[in-house]
Amino acid sequence: MSISVCVASKSYGAVRAVQQVSLEVRRGETVALLGHNGAGKSTTIGMLLGLIAPDAGRVLVCGREPGAAVAEGRIAAMLQDTGMMPAVRVGELVELAGRCYPAPLPTARALDLAGLSPLAGRRVDRLSGGQAQRLRFAVAIVSDPDVLVLDEPTRALDVKARVEFWQAMRAYAATGRSVLFATHYLDEVDENAGRVVVMAGGRVVAAGTPAEIRRMAGGGTVVFTVSGPHGDDTGLAGLPGVTGVSVDGERVTLRTADCDATVRALAAGAVPDWRDLRVSPASLDESFLMLTREAEA
Amino acid sequence: MNTYLIRLEIVRAVRDPRYLALAVATPIGFYLLFATLFGQGPNVPVNLMVAMAAYGAIWAVLSTTGPRIAQERELGWLTQLRAMPVPAWQVFTAKLLAGLASALPAILAVCLVAVLVKGVRLDPGQWAALVGAMWLGTAPFAALGVAVGYAVNADASYVVCYGLYMVTSAVGGLWIPPAQLPESFREVSGWLPSNRLAELGWQVAGPSPALWPSIGVLAAWTVGLGVIALLAYRRPRFAPRPAAAR
Repeated sequence: MSISVCVASKSYGAVRAVQQVSLEVRRGETVALLGHNGAGKSTTIGMLLGLIAPDAGRVLVCGREPGAAVAEGRIAAMLQDTGMMPAVRVGELVELAGRCYPAPLPTARALDLAGLSPLAGRRVDRLSGGQAQRLRFAVAIVSDPDVLVLDEPTRALDVKARVEFWQAMRAYAATGRSVLFATHYLDEVDENAGRVVVMAGGRVVAAGTPAEIRRMAGGGTVVFTVSGPHGDDTGLAGLPGVTGVSVDGERVTLRTADCDATVRALAAGAVPDWRDLRVSPASLDESFLMLTREAEA
Repeated sequence: MNTYLIRLEIVRAVRDPRYLALAVATPIGFYLLFATLFGQGPNVPVNLMVAMAAYGAIWAVLSTTGPRIAQERELGWLTQLRAMPVPAWQVFTAKLLAGLASALPAILAVCLVAVLVKGVRLDPGQWAALVGAMWLGTAPFAALGVAVGYAVNADASYVVCYGLYMVTSAVGGLWIPPAQLPESFREVSGWLPSNRLAELGWQVAGPSPALWPSIGVLAAWTVGLGVIALLAYRRPRFAPRPAAAR
């Protein structure tokens, strides 16, 4: 087990940042930590790195206390709001980071993995946003960690920089490392994570594959065509599970919390002469909003 | 000990043009100006050399500690270091050592100009003692810079360090010989680390050196400021903004 968080809690005065969070990342897994700002993602990550001591519960990284795991180079992180030493060169900084660990990657290899080889001689304070983010990535992976933690790694990056960043991340994950990343960009979760842990209000509210999360939130849209003018919206809105109706000529779109129940009612003849039936699951966006809204309500 | 961290800290200082301008070039300029204007007495060139070496060394140490530490705190570099296996004492020690290291070129540069341009002559033993004593004598300023760097933000730290530098230099008798200072300044002067740093050099260059009073005052400042620096450093900082504040 790469990461094992067991009913950990942390409060700041009256603010309960993290409440009884349990979370596991197996070796080689890429897991997304999904949540709004203030959901407890950064506090959870701080506990994994030994920067924050939990008030209760237990945190283990590769079977060790977080502080020991950091010292042994088993876990490394790209944190939010961290900067780099100014006025030194990219290569020098990665070299410095490598020398802090017992068994680092060669500096050239870390620069290469982060796509920074051509910029090794550039001064750290003269990098673009995307380049600076890849430098943070290089500083994290130069320790050759078993577990890589990324806290909102693509925040404030443009589309091109985001694509380049995830390419670098996937190449690293493909070498058999475990990755835990926090984000609130859902497309990144679908493309990069095998499993998702959804946090809201300091708690874990759902966990599973992206598909399972969609299913957990349930719901989706049911679309069909009716012959002739239908006109009777009220009957549609009364169907089982339906939460919203829109009619565009002959085309009817039903938003539903329970696709199965809605389709069964249609099949039982609740609406005459329907055809071209299409059922689509909720997007991850919709599922996420539904799950976090339930948790925060 | 991560010697590469110390090396990078020193490299950064040397690459900073403000360091060369203010800590090395300015004292040399003042030395040449003052030594030419007031160079009548037999001891004036050597006394001015010591005063200006102290003047440069103090700024070298303060400018490579205070403003830089404050800047790194604001940028988040120090938070990054906390997420890496770099013990806090190593970060702290590297800062102090880099600060001290940056003082040496400032001292040597003034001495070299004094020898070449104003014909200052001392025994080899005196030179070694003068440079060594004045170099180590900058320790209280390294502690002061670290304390300021952890206590206030980047903009304020530059102003605070420069202000303290100007006041201690003036009152400590680096610009005007202590004997010619106003009476009220003279009472305070001997208690200031700036004055005692120069006093080390003046004593070494004089006929019968008495170093212990100055060493005592400087050591007391170092310990006192070191404790303050440690307290400023240990204020807890890493805590994400609580959810309610976002």
